[in-house]
Amino acid sequence: MYWYEEGEPDGRFIGYTKRHTIYGNHYRPYEEPLPETAVKRKPEEFVFAYGPSTGGLMESVGLDLLTPGEKISSITVDPDYKLRRIKVTGMSVQDALLRVERINGFHSASHSICFLRAVEDALQLDIPDSLQFNRIAQIETERIRSHLLVVQKLAESAGFGVPVNQLSMLRETVSRIIGTSCGHRYFFSVNGTGHSIFKTDHLKERLGEVVDDFHKIYEGLMESKLFLNRLQGNGINRDPDSTGPAARGSGIVHDARNEMEVLPYHQLDYVPVVRDEGDAFSRFMIRSDEIFQSYDFIKKIDRYAGTVYEEPAFEPVDGSGMARIESPSGDLFYSVEIKDGNIMDVGMISPSWRNVKSFRTSMEGNIFTDFHFNWESFGIWISELGVDLS
Amino acid sequence: MISWFFLVPFSIAIIISIWNRKAGYVALAISSVILLAGSFIHFDYLDSFVVIAALVWIFSSWFSVSYGEKYGRWLAPMFGSTIFGMVIILLSRNYLEFLAGWEAMSVSSYVLIAMNKKNDYPPFVFMAFSELSTILIIAGAVYSFYLTGGTTIAFTKVDSVVPLVLFTLGALVKMGMVPFMISEWLPIAHGNAPANGSAILSATMTLMGVFGIVRLMILSPISVVFGVIVIAIGVMSVLFASLFAYVSEHAKMLAGFSTIENNGAILAAIGFYMIAQTAILRDFSLVVIVIFSLSHSLSKTGLFLGIGASGKEHLLDEGLRSSRFSRVGEVLSTASLSGLFPTIGGLGTWMILEMFFMGATFLGYLGIVSIIAGSLIAIGEGFATAAMMKAFVFTQLRNGKEKGVRNEQSVVFSIGIFLVLLFIISPLFIGTEFLGGLPSIFVFNGFAIQSRFTSADFGLISPDYVFGLLAVFSLATYAVFRKPNTRSVPVWRGGRDVTENYTPYAFSNNIRLMLKKILRPGIGERSQYMAIADGFWAFIIIVSTSYRKMAKGFTLGFMNSSIRWYMIYMILAFMIVLLLTILL
Repeated sequence: MYWYEEGEPDGRFIGYTKRHTIYGNHYRPYEEPLPETAVKRKPEEFVFAYGPSTGGLMESVGLDLLTPGEKISSITVDPDYKLRRIKVTGMSVQDALLRVERINGFHSASHSICFLRAVEDALQLDIPDSLQFNRIAQIETERIRSHLLVVQKLAESAGFGVPVNQLSMLRETVSRIIGTSCGHRYFFSVNGTGHSIFKTDHLKERLGEVVDDFHKIYEGLMESKLFLNRLQGNGINRDPDSTGPAARGSGIVHDARNEMEVLPYHQLDYVPVVRDEGDAFSRFMIRSDEIFQSYDFIKKIDRYAGTVYEEPAFEPVDGSGMARIESPSGDLFYSVEIKDGNIMDVGMISPSWRNVKSFRTSMEGNIFTDFHFNWESFGIWISELGVDLS
Repeated sequence: MISWFFLVPFSIAIIISIWNRKAGYVALAISSVILLAGSFIHFDYLDSFVVIAALVWIFSSWFSVSYGEKYGRWLAPMFGSTIFGMVIILLSRNYLEFLAGWEAMSVSSYVLIAMNKKNDYPPFVFMAFSELSTILIIAGAVYSFYLTGGTTIAFTKVDSVVPLVLFTLGALVKMGMVPFMISEWLPIAHGNAPANGSAILSATMTLMGVFGIVRLMILSPISVVFGVIVIAIGVMSVLFASLFAYVSEHAKMLAGFSTIENNGAILAAIGFYMIAQTAILRDFSLVVIVIFSLSHSLSKTGLFLGIGASGKEHLLDEGLRSSRFSRVGEVLSTASLSGLFPTIGGLGTWMILEMFFMGATFLGYLGIVSIIAGSLIAIGEGFATAAMMKAFVFTQLRNGKEKGVRNEQSVVFSIGIFLVLLFIISPLFIGTEFLGGLPSIFVFNGFAIQSRFTSADFGLISPDYVFGLLAVFSLATYAVFRKPNTRSVPVWRGGRDVTENYTPYAFSNNIRLMLKKILRPGIGERSQYMAIADGFWAFIIIVSTSYRKMAKGFTLGFMNSSIRWYMIYMILAFMIVLLLTILL
């Protein structure tokens, strides 16, 4: 394995697969996590059951809010109401990829590319820079769309109909750009081992209009005291293990783009956007700034426009690989074991798994009316949590 | 005023109650009926308080017949003795008689509160504040005696406002007003007595304070400054007590705070009398005092007895099942305490707000006091409505329903109906100077209660028309649509099998969070679901512990086995007491 090796914990804790405990650049055999301390209930508290089937939630998730009324003492998140058991072991890489990219359609490019980087690590394939930058272009386009959705959801929580619809239109525009660039709005069947059919031609110009329009909406939102009041001081996150915009909004520089060379962000002079307030507003600002930053990357990658990637011929070898990339929500990790060209074992750690814990801590002492703003600001995807990948 | 003869039946009732609890309560109810009837023989303004008290005692004695067996054989005699003390107060013609009744009432109440053995400290808290109250009233009486040149201890006209001030302070302590309310003493004491005891303590013991103040107020010179102070105390009591009632988790303490809130409104009306510059405004304020006292006393009795019938101490407790009758009774009592029509409390609230708005128009620069007072009372009434809704939901609706009706429930129901009845017949006891009509819109003369300035009208309401319209529209709706077809479905909780319910604490936690600087954030010490800033008790505890430390240090440091220092101490103490006695 190129990026990971077995050893003592180094750097930060990333998460657990079924077989391993993953740290910065090392992995160890699976270690049972410490059991959660049971919450001591007070007589005046009761459980307010929110979800899984209710308004205000995009995906099916059961939330138990322990509350003495208004104020939330603690919260539990049960993502398994629509648990999907996705089996990829025994399949060829290409067949497995079809399932992996459907784990979270909104972050399909991130999942498929991370999975492929783990596969390529196992197969010890060298990937040309141009293809790597093509993949960065996919992930950054996906990041723009994902962040637009989070900002849209924040505006929706505030009941701002106009920006909600404007942002929705921008998201649709990005989806159409993706669709015309690769044939599928959600990057399905776009990537393969050592190749991609995503075209970056005119991506800069077309996304430029989206980003310009977003800038206007962003400025409008920043002028709304009502909107800012709902975000500022709401859901302060200080969890040192959080990831993605949730971490960077809390002054924690956790970013796989900066830490690993799985994708060549270092060649794009990448510097993470960091703020230290830790609240929902901070996470909103990080996402907004990253939309502009992602577009800057796409402008830099524009030099590879027009490149066509042929499917490479390679000798299938047996091996294991691990890769971690920065999905729009944070660290996304895949591990694979390949034998005779088939997947023998797979592991996945999603950013939502880690951030749901940070979200729960940040909700303690908060009030229910602030719940939606905080929930949306973390950008948690239940589709990544309620999945049993084997 | 009526005669001492009316004490006899009460004395007999107390003696009977020692041997037979139920017979004693029946005798008390009969004694109250006799007192009620007697009050109409030579009816004057002060007899209104006798009528109010007698009505409360009739209902609470009736309720007690089937209540309180668990408190033992002494509950009934103490209940009777407390009433006996109050009867002495109502019949008193001089300060000594008043004080005799006041002490008899206080001592009996002390025992009554001590019968609820869950906590030791409420009776002591009650007694401490009662004695403080007595000292202030004695001071007022002594000063009045001094002003008359030592000729009489009777309630008589004096040239100074000081006796009224001292007496009012004494009564304020007993009524648990600001600043004494902050110590929570009244809710602690009233909330820890058996329910029938709580009812008479809250509904009539505090009424005795109002009675005493009104009695002296009529005989004292007018002091605008003192009037404004009384209004301020009354209004602050309304505001804070209603707020504290809303956040209280103890059923009877919630009602106790509501008592303070009601007494605050009555006190504000008393203050208004003192600042009113015309006879018509003064007369209107006197009517307000009586109507509000009537509605408060009866509604509060209904609420306390309703809580007693629910078997709850804390709102979170498992209670007894309620019936359709107890629900109707308590909803009407709480509606009355919320100042809603068609109950007498609705009329009382309308009148008090009307009075202050009249004051805003006609009292010159004092109008500002009047409008602020009226507005704050209106805010307090808003909190009170929320508090009453909480009390009703968690003592009746959440308890589950049973068929049939127990005696206690039938009393609660009767009080509720009586509150509506009083509303309907209110034009009969308002006084003709405030009655009128608008024949042009079919409100005939005598059916509208009108607030007035000089000869013109200020505002009006017609209780009969309000009730009539409500009844006609309700019956018409029923006639057209009949009983609505309703169906019960399980509550949708996101498709999950969660059966937990909203707690009473959650009901008012929004206010706790908004006012967290002055409200205690959680359930308090002493297992009481309290939610009030505990500054008073913290101060008392600091003073007590510091004094004990100092006394212990002095005892061990100087007087330990030293007869010489002990003698010096005794002589010094004796001289200081002697000096204080001469000076005061």
